[in-house]
Amino acid sequence: MSERIIEFREALCEAMSEEMRTDQKVFLLGEEVAQYNGAYKISKGMLDEFGPRRVIDTPISESGFSGMAIGAAMRGLRPIVEFMSWSFSLVAADPILNNAAKMLYMSGGQFGCPIVFRGNDGAGGQLGSTHSWCIESLYANVPGLKMAIPYDAYDAKGLLKTAIRDDNPVFFLESERLLSITGHVPEEDYTVPFGQALIRRQGADCTIISFGRPLYFCQEAAIELAKEGIDCEIIDGRTIRPLDIETMVTSVKKTNACVVVDQSWSFASIGSEVASQIHRYCFDDLDNFVHRVHSDDVPTPYASNLEQAYLPNTRKICEAVRGATYNT
Amino acid sequence: MPIEITMPRLSDTMEEGTLLHWYKKVGDVISSGDVLADIETDKATMELQSFDDGIFSKIIVQEGEKVEIGKVIALITEEDESPAQEVSETEPVQEVSETEPAPTKQDYEQGMTISPIARRLADEYKIDVHNIQGSGPSGRIIKRDILQVVDTTKETSSAAATTKPEEIIQPLVSEPEVVATSHSIVSIAPWRENRSEPLSNMRQIIAKKLVESKQTIPHYQVTMSFDMDPLLEIRATLNKQLVSSGVKLSVNDFLVRCCALAMAEHPAFNASFGGDCIYYHGPVNVGVAIAIPEERGGGLVVGTIRDADQKSLRAISQESARLSNKAKEKGLSMEEMSDSTFTISNLGMFGVEHFTAIINPPNSAILAVGAAVEKPVVRSGELVVGHELSATLSLDHRVIDGAMAARYLKTLKDLIENPASLLV
Repeated sequence: MSERIIEFREALCEAMSEEMRTDQKVFLLGEEVAQYNGAYKISKGMLDEFGPRRVIDTPISESGFSGMAIGAAMRGLRPIVEFMSWSFSLVAADPILNNAAKMLYMSGGQFGCPIVFRGNDGAGGQLGSTHSWCIESLYANVPGLKMAIPYDAYDAKGLLKTAIRDDNPVFFLESERLLSITGHVPEEDYTVPFGQALIRRQGADCTIISFGRPLYFCQEAAIELAKEGIDCEIIDGRTIRPLDIETMVTSVKKTNACVVVDQSWSFASIGSEVASQIHRYCFDDLDNFVHRVHSDDVPTPYASNLEQAYLPNTRKICEAVRGATYNT
Repeated sequence: MPIEITMPRLSDTMEEGTLLHWYKKVGDVISSGDVLADIETDKATMELQSFDDGIFSKIIVQEGEKVEIGKVIALITEEDESPAQEVSETEPVQEVSETEPAPTKQDYEQGMTISPIARRLADEYKIDVHNIQGSGPSGRIIKRDILQVVDTTKETSSAAATTKPEEIIQPLVSEPEVVATSHSIVSIAPWRENRSEPLSNMRQIIAKKLVESKQTIPHYQVTMSFDMDPLLEIRATLNKQLVSSGVKLSVNDFLVRCCALAMAEHPAFNASFGGDCIYYHGPVNVGVAIAIPEERGGGLVVGTIRDADQKSLRAISQESARLSNKAKEKGLSMEEMSDSTFTISNLGMFGVEHFTAIINPPNSAILAVGAAVEKPVVRSGELVVGHELSATLSLDHRVIDGAMAARYLKTLKDLIENPASLLV
């Protein structure tokens, strides 16, 4: 086994390139993905390797190129659509939600839509409220799509390969704040299956469930709380649809306390859905109601200090865990 | 399939009901229309009737318990079914004897809060939760509290290694008693302790309605004294004649009739303030405040004597006695408490000479009646001993002005002091 360390963005690039080498139907399109090597340099070198027919620069028209890609997917190709930011996908809501997610059902099984939509999701870079969307709660509400949120370079590559091979539309949510982090990624082919959560830290007192970037806040909180004698177990859900509730339930049955950390807003969110399911399946095992940590219920602030305070940060997670475990 | 009887919605504002009394016991044959139970809502006590025929097979909500509407409170099995599924028909006795000696679940007091995992652990370790002071918010018993007891138990058991598991729990159960004995002097006067009791439905309603009344209605009071000798004399005569019929007229019955006749003459006293209008009621319905005995939870209700101006003294007396008894024994129905247009509150029987009352909305007046007191009075220029009663009207100034109140009291005085007119 190799101990190769690469960046999160390189892992994404490897996943796309490897799949494009093995499957001629796979291609990438999006704004600046080709000649500029990607707005965030994720598709670096791909134009050179695969040429302009398979790595396609598009006009600034998310609705147009998403719809075009969906048409291609319906006819048997396997497009990867890069949104520079998921915030920009809002103008393509009709094709991605109304066409991609529903196509298999509405065509009575005649047309599938094997497509990956991927891009940056979430706040944290002083991009202002309109460019700081966490779309997971908004989009995960729609049946027919899958949604994955990688935590590190290893999962970024493994989950993206699974996404490209999946016959359903997959919404793949990366974080701009994580693209430069490095991690161990094997050189040999591997995938990370959907619907299998991972315990990132073992603990006895409280289960913390999260996805993607907030997991880093959870790790910091767990270190802080360990000093107070509170032993946290951290679960990385990895995919929101499908949701691996079994792993979460098993953990909560052990700890009897649960905190869900979700970077979207609290109302009708991933956090509220997970909490609801935990309440259902762990009712007799809970010592307290499931506590939730979200971004504050306001548009994302631009000011750096306000933005950090707004996020589901370490301080908020510590408070929630203390509350859930009666250690206030 | 057993038929589920659920807590019904008996009033518009009802969210939960208290099961006061079951009229049926398990095994009784039920016909549609049978009264199954008395339910106390936020406003009244009402009867719960069965919509189905069958056999009363299970009581789920016990007397005194309060549950939300829609919750199953009892089961009825149809007659051709086996009566209750959990009891075997062939060997019912054995079934019972098997389940009874080792109850795994314990009863949790109403209002007690305990987290689900703490409850499950308490059941598993057979720990009596009633002796545990919860450390969670509002005294919620949480996992930590149970585990502490388990730890203490383990220590006790390792100290006395031969003790059988069942006996280990013993010291915990009796612990509070030991404490109580050593502090017996303090516990002689437990009533000295501060305590709080949750409001009953009735007290909540009283609190809400009367604050609303006192804060929104511009109250003022007008008092008048009445010579009661003629009325008391005619009352004594009538009661002597009515002994055989079981009717005993009270002073209050006379006052109900007097007030009703005076209301018919002064429509503003049979009216409600309507924001942009004054609403004059047709029927003259006199409400009578009835105190509920302490042992029945205390509080008061207003029973309505409908069309009181049309009713004879005897009819008023019978209706008043019926309402009073029912209110004290099982509570009044919504109908029996609705639609009064004027209220009389009488504390004369307690020896009170004078007090003021708060208007019972949407009434625009209430009469607070004191006792008929024997005192020196001036009659025809001479000082004699006579009976005098003082009554105080509280009035809604938006409907009734002072002079109108004075004129009403004048009419009332004429009626009370010339009681022969009440007989016709």
